[in-house]
Amino acid sequence: MSARSIRLWSVIHKWTSLLCTLFLLVICLTGLPLIFREEIGDWLNDDPPYAAMPPDTPMASLDGMAAQGLHRYPGQIVTSIFVDDDEPKVLVFMAPSWRAFIDDPRSRHWLKFDARTARLLHDSDPMSKGGPDFLTLMLRLHTDLFAGLPGSLFLGAMGCVFVAALVSGVVLYAPFMRRLPFGTVRARRSRRLRWLDLHNLLGVVAAAWMLTLGLTGVLNELTMPLFALWQNTDVRAMLHRWQGEAPPTGADLSSPDAAFRAVKAALPGMEVVSLVYPGSPFGTPFHYVLWAKGTTPLTSRLFSPVLVDARTGALTAVMRMPWYLRALELSRPLHFGDYGGMPLKIIWASLDIATIVVLGSGLYLWLKRGRIPMESQRPGNETISMQEAPVRTAAE
Amino acid sequence: MTPPAIGRPAVWRWPIAIAMLTVFGLFAALLGQGGVWLWLSWAALAFPLAVILACLSRSGKAGRQGR
Repeated sequence: MSARSIRLWSVIHKWTSLLCTLFLLVICLTGLPLIFREEIGDWLNDDPPYAAMPPDTPMASLDGMAAQGLHRYPGQIVTSIFVDDDEPKVLVFMAPSWRAFIDDPRSRHWLKFDARTARLLHDSDPMSKGGPDFLTLMLRLHTDLFAGLPGSLFLGAMGCVFVAALVSGVVLYAPFMRRLPFGTVRARRSRRLRWLDLHNLLGVVAAAWMLTLGLTGVLNELTMPLFALWQNTDVRAMLHRWQGEAPPTGADLSSPDAAFRAVKAALPGMEVVSLVYPGSPFGTPFHYVLWAKGTTPLTSRLFSPVLVDARTGALTAVMRMPWYLRALELSRPLHFGDYGGMPLKIIWASLDIATIVVLGSGLYLWLKRGRIPMESQRPGNETISMQEAPVRTAAE
Repeated sequence: MTPPAIGRPAVWRWPIAIAMLTVFGLFAALLGQGGVWLWLSWAALAFPLAVILACLSRSGKAGRQGR
């Protein structure tokens, strides 16, 4: 690589790194507890335990659980029902009205039921009441800095900058390291050189993982625009034939239980995990939207939306997800690291810590940069070692 | 000045091997059906961590011997 190329890549590495380091540090630090969100959630949960019942006990009536919610909150609406596939839990989400929900999604609250007995285990406050809990705080800082869509898009842009910093860092690795054995950390040299070697070692060893997390993170930040695109194209086209009809209201709604059964019969081997009521901004005005998924490690990440006519209860369509939403679904496990049990989570956390060290050491190298003339930074120049020159250029 | 071509591939030997193992590990648990694929995924993704620890341990020993 010519000295000119090294200088160019060094400038790219320096500025992209400086631009994204602070935000990436926030993302990495908040991501650490999020790796263990299920375990932390269980630990913080003080709800009554589920009833001890045989594992094959059938699910209680969803209609009954929705009716319990409506009885408890007269005049309110059910917005969706979530059926957990991991524990016997059903969540019934409610809101004062669709208008209130659309104006402020945090007006929602939820009731947690034992899925087999339909016993109410928890009645939440509206999400707008009180501050966020620990995991919500971490998640919001990780995904949108409490700024909604603009925050998501900003962090997505920072993710792109991080990917550019990674690529330029990898390009600069060879000029740095070609005269050193792989993995050298010169412990007997200056502190700055030691951190430089550590930065190079951790950076190159974790590069593929960091690149994967960076790219999948960017894709995840595009969740809202991608779903909006799908709703405004495929879903809108599909709803064309209902145009002009009056949407069903509470009294017109068919049974959610029947909708669940219809979808399970139409998609054998798949699990139905949620039902969105008609009128929701995440659904259609005329249908229950049921989300079904497979049961293997891969297919359990791929969701299929099924539309059931909310008035008649007839299955309307199993929709095909567009490629960009399939890509988004595939990117999620690769970002969350939640598909290989606790050992994978521990590996994820360790690589996250390695990334924090790479970011921190990069910042340290920049803060401790020396005053070295550009001429002496060229590879092969005697005034500065080959291993040090490009790194100094990058850090400055 | 362009450095000699000899030695260039050697610089990339370990990083490329680690990157390939990482990609294999990332997809083994996702595309495999549990069981042995899960173990292979854990082993492949733990390898970069083992390399970091080995290099740091080697450096620590060299540092102590130099004092």
